[in-house]
Amino acid sequence: MENERSSTAGKPIRCKAAVSRKPGEPLVIEEIMVAPPNPHEVRIRIICTSLCHTDITFWKMKDPPAIFPRILGHEAVGVVESVGDDVLEFSEGDYILPVFISDCGECTDCISKKSNLCSKIPFQLSPWMPRYGTSRFTDLKGEVLYHFVSVSSFSEYTVVDTANIVKVDPSVPPNRACLLGCGVATGVGAAWRTANVEAGSTVAIFGLGAIGLAVAEGARLCGATKIIGVDVNPEKFEIGKKFGITDFVSAKECSSTPVSQVINEMTGGGADYCFECVGMVSLVHEAYACCRKGWGKTIVIGYDKPESQLSFSSFEVLHSGKTLMGSWYGGLKPKYDVPVLLKQYLNKELRLDDFVTHELKFEDINKAFDLLIKGKCIRTVIWMASENVPPT
Amino acid sequence: MENMNASTATAGKVIRCKAAICRNAGKPLVIEEIEVDPPKAYEVRIKILCTSLCHSDVTFWKLDAGPLAVFPRILGHEAVGVVESVGEHVEEVKEGDVAVPVFLPNCGECRDCKSSKTNTCSFGDGIYNFMPRDGTSRFRDMNGEVVAHFLSVSSFSEYTVVDVNHLLKISSDFPVDKACLLSCGVSTGVGAAWNVAKVEEGSTVAIFGLGTVGLAVAEGARLRGASKIIGVDLNSEKSEIAIKFGVTDFINPTSCGEKTVIEVIKELTNGGADYCFECIGLASLMIEAFHCCRVGWGMTVILGVEMHASPMTINTYEIMRGKSVTGSLFGGCKPKTDVPLLAKKYLDKELNLDDFITHEVGFKDINEAFELLLQGKGLRCIIWMD
Repeated sequence: MENERSSTAGKPIRCKAAVSRKPGEPLVIEEIMVAPPNPHEVRIRIICTSLCHTDITFWKMKDPPAIFPRILGHEAVGVVESVGDDVLEFSEGDYILPVFISDCGECTDCISKKSNLCSKIPFQLSPWMPRYGTSRFTDLKGEVLYHFVSVSSFSEYTVVDTANIVKVDPSVPPNRACLLGCGVATGVGAAWRTANVEAGSTVAIFGLGAIGLAVAEGARLCGATKIIGVDVNPEKFEIGKKFGITDFVSAKECSSTPVSQVINEMTGGGADYCFECVGMVSLVHEAYACCRKGWGKTIVIGYDKPESQLSFSSFEVLHSGKTLMGSWYGGLKPKYDVPVLLKQYLNKELRLDDFVTHELKFEDINKAFDLLIKGKCIRTVIWMASENVPPT
Repeated sequence: MENMNASTATAGKVIRCKAAICRNAGKPLVIEEIEVDPPKAYEVRIKILCTSLCHSDVTFWKLDAGPLAVFPRILGHEAVGVVESVGEHVEEVKEGDVAVPVFLPNCGECRDCKSSKTNTCSFGDGIYNFMPRDGTSRFRDMNGEVVAHFLSVSSFSEYTVVDVNHLLKISSDFPVDKACLLSCGVSTGVGAAWNVAKVEEGSTVAIFGLGTVGLAVAEGARLRGASKIIGVDLNSEKSEIAIKFGVTDFINPTSCGEKTVIEVIKELTNGGADYCFECIGLASLMIEAFHCCRVGWGMTVILGVEMHASPMTINTYEIMRGKSVTGSLFGGCKPKTDVPLLAKKYLDKELNLDDFITHEVGFKDINEAFELLLQGKGLRCIIWMD
């Protein structure tokens, strides 16, 4: 009914956004214009957003698929401000999570249990809205600002396709819900859905950032009994214990024994599941070398460059019987699996609290970049409304 | 078939018999007299009834350098025989039993054997040029020179000695030439479809290389109800026999016109096959197979033996898009439990083994079998010892 529609529905909104104008340079908070949503789109008021390493990758990158000026950010939670035509799933006021991979629910992949890669609206490192190839953002000079992986959450308002949106149980606090937009969901999903870790398994995790720690949490929930964490930073062991890490292996370069050898010895022949959560080709090989012959699986979830090449001896693949696999977003189907994870959080099974190590105001967003680049945080939550930032 | 009295007569003694020895890489085998020692503890001496030539024999026959090239050697690893005598502690088989030797061990005790997930038994050194427990040979030529074993079987000989972990018993009623096929190639292919890929009804499958292993994959996929079985081979003559094993679409890469094999397969399968099998042993084909499998869940299974250390390079991005790569020896089959199951499926007229046998020769003409395989003629040539 007319009375219930927001006063801004159907009109462009003027708001603040943190725009990335040049590779590697601090984001600039500026006023921008956000157009109303097209059919099948939703305009969202962002409540809070968190910084993920992939944002940094594309912030630093000088060549395509990086593109500037762009509104980065893809881990966030918000409220529906208005919906475009043909949107039946969501209404104004809904508490929702945008997700960078789509879930149309209709295509072969969405219907299949085996895949989470929607083929109707495939994931692309595109600067545009997925269905239309256009942008909803302009700066005050009228210049187009590019989208980022269909989310663009470093803005007070953004526009997202309905296929990229999940409803969130209102009992989940925003600074926990937003974690499931990417990193934590990816890690937990990788253990749960991609690898299907079973109780009693041994798991090795290369890279103890948010994703790696989330793999540990997921493996713990699946009943893994030995969860080995590998990182160059020894401080990660203490942190890792909170997430279920039982053993730590330092990957410092000066170490004379390869990490894979250490893990093979620790596990009597290799781990059942090895996860690479950094995005380095050499680490994928290291992980493959210490997953157990016969049934071992090496799971690649760290993302480096689009053109990264892995090189394997097929003789070894043949003789070892090991499997190399990987996934985006932990193999999770956003609309089905995210609510399951949220419920597990509310039931105090899935632990999310310890992922959030810092909370900042939107105007201090560049500090979040600093913290992540220096490895001093797991997740930094950026609140759009300063009054929501908890006192330190 | 020798009677019990005759085999008992040779038990415990050195047997003098004929063997086809490989003395130089790539040169015809020479049938010579050799001496075969009696079996030691946990070993079994077998009188070979028939053997067939598998491409892996040819691969190692041609190999002239590196630690895996050993001369003189008795090749052959796909075979069936009768137990002539057993060493101490052998309980699984006795004299007179019909048995199939297998290159892959199955000790039944290690963690791998106890797991249902794999067949990568930990017994032995993985190279198998000598008897696994003491690293020595049971063969000597007439100059007294040691002759090496091959893949723990060495079936190109009237008698051979095999470790009990590399042997399984089959019914004496089972047709021996079919039993021989289950000793390697056919089990590898069918097993890969069933155990490794776990092809399900309605799946789409692409097979690179339509030799015995590739066609056995097709047969396995057919039995599982695959909806589309695409066979890729440079030899168009394979298209006819391929149909017998369930291949629904044949692609000769040289006859695709402007399209690449990858494009053709993607068109046939609406985006990529669910399972792609590489059954030749070429890194370039393995990479091609990987590109033909479907985003989201496509699995590439490596069965071919690649001997040039050419790396298989794959893009991380494709792996993250849900594609997986795996491989297996002997199609993930546990020899002692799975081969009898396959034998039963043949007897129940489900599994087609007959059409794999396209040629037969006597032992003295064993080099003809090599010729046939090298020319890509036929599938399996059975070499009869008698």
